[in-house]
Amino acid sequence: MISMISPLDRRRHLTGLAFITPTMLVIIAILVYPILQSIVLSFGQSSIDGSGPYQFVGLKHYAALAGNDRFWNSLWVTLTFTAISIPLELAMGIGLAVLMNEHFRFKGIARLAVLFPWALPTALNTLMWRWMYNTDYGLFNAAALQSGLVDRPINWLGDETLAMMSMVVVAVWKTSSFMALIILAGLQSIPRDLYEAGRMDGMTRWQEFREITLPLLKGPILVALIVRSMDALRTFELPFNLTDGGPVTATESLSLYAYKVIFDFIEFNYGAAIVVVQFLVIFAMSLLYILTLRNKD
Amino acid sequence: MKFTIPVLATAAALTALPAVAQDLVLSIGSRGYGPAVERNIASYTAANPGVNIEWNKVSDVPGETRKLYVTGLTARSPTPDIYAVDVIWAGEFAQRGWLEPLNGLLDDATIGAFNPSLLDASTVEGKVHALPLYADGIHFFYRSDLLEKYGLELPRTWQEVLAASQTITEGEGNPQLYGFVSMWAKIEGLFMNWLAFANGNGGGFYDAEGNVAVNSPANIEATQFMVDLLHEHRMAPDSILNARPDDARTLFQQGRAAFLMVQDFVHAPLSADNSPVADKFDFTRVPYFEGHEDANSTTMGGWFLGINPNSANKQAAADFLAYFTAEEQQLAAAVEDNRAPTIPSVYEDPAMAGNDVLARFGANYDFGVVRPSAGSGSKYPRVSEIMQLEITNALHRQKTVEEALNDAQQQLEALLAE
Repeated sequence: MISMISPLDRRRHLTGLAFITPTMLVIIAILVYPILQSIVLSFGQSSIDGSGPYQFVGLKHYAALAGNDRFWNSLWVTLTFTAISIPLELAMGIGLAVLMNEHFRFKGIARLAVLFPWALPTALNTLMWRWMYNTDYGLFNAAALQSGLVDRPINWLGDETLAMMSMVVVAVWKTSSFMALIILAGLQSIPRDLYEAGRMDGMTRWQEFREITLPLLKGPILVALIVRSMDALRTFELPFNLTDGGPVTATESLSLYAYKVIFDFIEFNYGAAIVVVQFLVIFAMSLLYILTLRNKD
Repeated sequence: MKFTIPVLATAAALTALPAVAQDLVLSIGSRGYGPAVERNIASYTAANPGVNIEWNKVSDVPGETRKLYVTGLTARSPTPDIYAVDVIWAGEFAQRGWLEPLNGLLDDATIGAFNPSLLDASTVEGKVHALPLYADGIHFFYRSDLLEKYGLELPRTWQEVLAASQTITEGEGNPQLYGFVSMWAKIEGLFMNWLAFANGNGGGFYDAEGNVAVNSPANIEATQFMVDLLHEHRMAPDSILNARPDDARTLFQQGRAAFLMVQDFVHAPLSADNSPVADKFDFTRVPYFEGHEDANSTTMGGWFLGINPNSANKQAAADFLAYFTAEEQQLAAAVEDNRAPTIPSVYEDPAMAGNDVLARFGANYDFGVVRPSAGSGSKYPRVSEIMQLEITNALHRQKTVEEALNDAQQQLEALLAE
């Protein structure tokens, strides 16, 4: 093989290698190493600061996970949250993107307003929402009570279903604009003449959207969907700051449960097993992403 | 010989450096020890110009602070140099090597001045790992003006509290006024609350033989009362299930609750000049159930100060620690801020005579009960988590009280047998 490459090609390869090496080193240091370390930890028992000897225990932690209701609950919570919030974000995202693509006055301001929630850190967003949801002082209960819709304050974050819904609302509010941004980029790359041709054939606005816009947006939508799904599958700041996983464990995501096992109970190995399972779930998502894109081409 | 001088100069510079840059970082919440922290830092740095102390104001929600410490300590961070630990962590942190033994850094007389039973909490292998800063407990705060308005006696038992609460809320007819508020979010404070209720009914975490018995009939009855208080009698608002100590305190301070059950620290904000209830409230011992007037229903807590073993300035940290917890400073904190001293001789000081609030806190501590942290050591966080989760299950009616406590008992037995 090597002998078939000309000296010029080889030099080109070396130059390319030189360019990617720094990036690869960083990726190995901050991504590959921790992932491998987590996998190693999850198969063993070690002292908390790594000073004691590491003992291989095989699948012990995974077997314990299989019988751990709280783990299954957190996996279920994570999947439910992802399954509910992503379609809503997508619908909102497409709507916002189409709106932002139109020509109207104050378009710049509107775009800025749409992006604002995305620009704020999740933790900050969440704390703001927590005050709005507050049972005794919150905005929503003040409005609901004063308008006479309810006669008792609603405990938004203290009810299993409402807490999950409240969490979804915050996620949709924050990340629809991210979806919109990616889809807007896709929209702007659709040639204008396609719409002109459509109009000459007598297409309605809805038909234009169905027959031209949506098919050509397939790529960007897929990217937005996958990136957001991966994000949602590892959601942490949102339940951590909004509900702390409560009530009981109704909003305890995988990340939050892993965090509690690691930092509250100081069981790094067991926590690592949870993280590895989470990694596998996200890895499966990524595979789906890669395979779907390849099929498309 | 010519290079002796530069070598000596370098050596001198190196040894001098730590002396010049004695920067200490102290991690403690701003609420727990109140204004005394600022006062002590100011007076110490005025007397020791070479020392620079930075106050890292950590969260006053213990669980949050704990996470912060665990992250830093497992990574062997040299900061903070001195940090406040909850009494329930003292033994665990000492066992894990996260607290520097103080016996070599401070003389025996300094350490020996403290209440020996408090020192036990941080003593591992015969060495003291942290000094007790103050003790506190749960008290029952009430709106004296409302009791008077409805001609009610001060309620002593939970049954009386329930009756008084109903009279007041019905009489006031204000949907914004709740009967009872406390900290029933899934936090350590919930477990403290449960211990107060359970012990108040003659139950508790352990049975008379010292075995874990959280599903005893007395505990089931007390827990059922908590559930009924919320769901049947509507004495507490739904938000009690999300409430942390300050959330409950805020409601009470704004005049939106007749009764409040939290720790000592709320006394200062409640009685402050700008507090709407400043002259309308008082406090008493945590209620008990009928027939259990001797019950130890005051769940106790307290905070310690210890030194990070990775600190670069351990001796300087120890000197400041000794000053911070010394008699003079404790007396000031007791007289001015109602912080219960941990050095017994402070109580003898004539200046203490004028502090009625602290004397009454102290009277409630006579009915004190401690959490099972000493008996469970480094497993305590999981013990507390099991209890918090199962009590929450019962309060949210995800499980019946009996199911929840049976499940807790089973998990505790398995955990403690590990």
